[in-house]
Amino acid sequence: MSPAGQLLLPALVLLPLLALLPGAWHGGGFDLIGQFLLAAVQPSTDPALIVASLRGIAVTVAVALWSWLFSLLLGVIGGVLSAEVVSRTLWGCSWPALLLRRLLAIPRSLHELLWGLILLQLLGLHPAVAVLAIALPYGALFARVVAEQLDGLPRRNLEALQLAGAPAPAALLMALSPPLWPQLLSYGGYRLECALRSATLLGVFGLGGIGADLRLALQSLQFHEVWTSLWLLAAVMLALELALARLRQRWQEPNRELLVGFAALLLLLLPSSQWLELRWQVLFSPWQWPEVLPLWDPNGWLQDWPQLIGSTLLLTALAALLAVALLPLLLLLLGPGRWPRLLLSACGLLARLLPPPLTALLLLFVLQPGLLPAVLALGIHNAGILGRLGLEGLDALPPQPAQALRLAGSSPRQVLLVAGFNGIGRSYLSFGAYRADVILRESVVVGLVGAGGLGVVLLESLSSFAWGEVLPVLVVYAVLTLVGEQLADLYRRRLLSGPLPREGCSPLANS
Amino acid sequence: MLLLAPVAPALASQVLRISAIPDQNPERLNRLYGLLAKELSDQLGVPVKYKPVVDYGAAVTGFRRGDLDLVWFGGLTGVQARLQTPGSKVIAQRDVDAKFRSVFIANQSAGLKPFSAQNDLQQLKGKRFAFGSESSTSGRLMPQYFLAQAGVTPKDFASGRPGFSGSHDATLALVQSGAYQAGALNGQVWDSRLKEGKVDTNKVVLLWRTPPYADYHWIAQGNLDQRFGAGFTGKLQQSLLNLSPSQPRQKTILELFAAGRFIPAKDADYANIEAVGRSLGKIR
Repeated sequence: MSPAGQLLLPALVLLPLLALLPGAWHGGGFDLIGQFLLAAVQPSTDPALIVASLRGIAVTVAVALWSWLFSLLLGVIGGVLSAEVVSRTLWGCSWPALLLRRLLAIPRSLHELLWGLILLQLLGLHPAVAVLAIALPYGALFARVVAEQLDGLPRRNLEALQLAGAPAPAALLMALSPPLWPQLLSYGGYRLECALRSATLLGVFGLGGIGADLRLALQSLQFHEVWTSLWLLAAVMLALELALARLRQRWQEPNRELLVGFAALLLLLLPSSQWLELRWQVLFSPWQWPEVLPLWDPNGWLQDWPQLIGSTLLLTALAALLAVALLPLLLLLLGPGRWPRLLLSACGLLARLLPPPLTALLLLFVLQPGLLPAVLALGIHNAGILGRLGLEGLDALPPQPAQALRLAGSSPRQVLLVAGFNGIGRSYLSFGAYRADVILRESVVVGLVGAGGLGVVLLESLSSFAWGEVLPVLVVYAVLTLVGEQLADLYRRRLLSGPLPREGCSPLANS
Repeated sequence: MLLLAPVAPALASQVLRISAIPDQNPERLNRLYGLLAKELSDQLGVPVKYKPVVDYGAAVTGFRRGDLDLVWFGGLTGVQARLQTPGSKVIAQRDVDAKFRSVFIANQSAGLKPFSAQNDLQQLKGKRFAFGSESSTSGRLMPQYFLAQAGVTPKDFASGRPGFSGSHDATLALVQSGAYQAGALNGQVWDSRLKEGKVDTNKVVLLWRTPPYADYHWIAQGNLDQRFGAGFTGKLQQSLLNLSPSQPRQKTILELFAAGRFIPAKDADYANIEAVGRSLGKIR
């Protein structure tokens, strides 16, 4: 099937969702949704609140920056050590790299939120916990990308240098780092956006920052206060995305802007550490699991796993399909003009701005609890993320095919379908498959809306401090994520036959 | 060299760190505990810092690890924290907390009439039902307990489980909108929303008020006397009890707490909550 066809196929998921809608619709809180939207134009301007929100956003940004930096460090080191080419060059065998790659799968398989909860027990209420909670899974993910990139690079330069007698480490550095660099920059930049979203979500789950203010304000229905935080967050997120998109266009020639950007970032890092009271020595204190919270409870392993896993996977699959389907569908429906594009961009920003648990609560004002609001909350949030990458991908396409079609008399929609969707199709879908992994991990956060699944068990056990029950759920999540990762890889290789687009990053901007 | 000496840890242990479970909007929390920190600092002569936490579990964990010295807990979270933190003890509650109540409410469309007896809770079987936060005493634990007494378990609700809205206000909004047909929440929140005119009585009906039980309370770490001097815990308790509506700042604090006064409380007052918590698996 053509890439454009594959792009539109996931839209079929709307059929079951639309079928569920009449039964789930109650509309009783429509006035609340109205109030929420109206409050957008009258956010609270109470000075104390603005100061608190600024503090919140600063905490969130600082956590995002530091965790991002650590994840890059972890990722580069882990990635280099788990690349076969490095292992073979240095040690003459590849098993150390393969072993490390398997080990790195473990930190990657837990959502940063779950890492946060575990580290909170081990280390206490410190901002460093939030930083580490994001840095660990992100670092492991980044390591995987780095290793894959390294192994995918042509080896000719390396072999030539070695034949010429260069020592192994020097040969590796000289042969592999120049082609790796731009890709790392591009992917690394994208991870900073992810880190900002994760830091916001972590706030929702007890580690401070703007997400925490958002959640408390929304739960007490203080919509004007909600919007004060949302506008601030929107400004920061938009600025970051625009800056990174700009940098990404220029990574080819590392220029002054890039250097200035990095310098500015470093200057931000130190004061933010001081101000956040990020006491790093916390990380070196003994990591002791509290005795009062036993981790082992045989009864914790006796759950109705097939049912729990089944509903979690169903939720994940539907949400992932929805996330992939929304952009192409809406683009076709609204047409490719300038205003529809602007509208889509604005909706997308709002969608990725709001952490899914908050979207879920808003949805419950008009929908009955169950699968549908959970799917919509996860699907819409991730459609916001995918959508932006899709739009960027469309902008980066070479203009000639579209021009040719237009000259041949095709309508704007036909041009979009044939030139646009076929152009971005493969990388968009590949990114969607990667997003499905993320959605599986995120499904824990919408357990609240009554969709059932592992998230419900997890939150209930956590609130009882029953870690003997939490542990089995964590293990199941880890196994599911690892299997999901394998399947997503298979999908990318088989269905999207052809070279692997750069996983997870901005494949679209470079396609 | 003197300047470089690590003074920070020594100072940190001299600051009294207070906190609270977050069950209100953040702006109100900041205002309330900012004021209280100043008041306590003035009365006790030690620096007092409010450390916000953003969920019930984080408050318990922070207290267990000794990162927090004095925390305003709910009934259940307080017992959880105290059991995990040897030496800690209950020092005060509000006048309203000795006899706290929950309310059961329903959306008019659910066709439920106010209950005349506890056994009428059985009418909630098969309804879409919302609790507040998982860890809430008035929004979850005690309602679930009174339901169990009437023979209703969480599995009896529509789709085999209750929903958890996350907060009392959210429960009210979700029942009023009809997302859930019925729910349970803090009686005090219900009364004040009713008074503020935020409840649409054409849509929501009060079904039943539960019998009274002990709820919110202050818990202090057991080592405060060693850290701040002999008799400090007693002085701390006294300064909470001293808060009186006759002094403007203290009056504001009490109003924000929705309390007439603070009264002494002891661990034993919460033995009942602990028993209920254990019977429902919230305390292991």
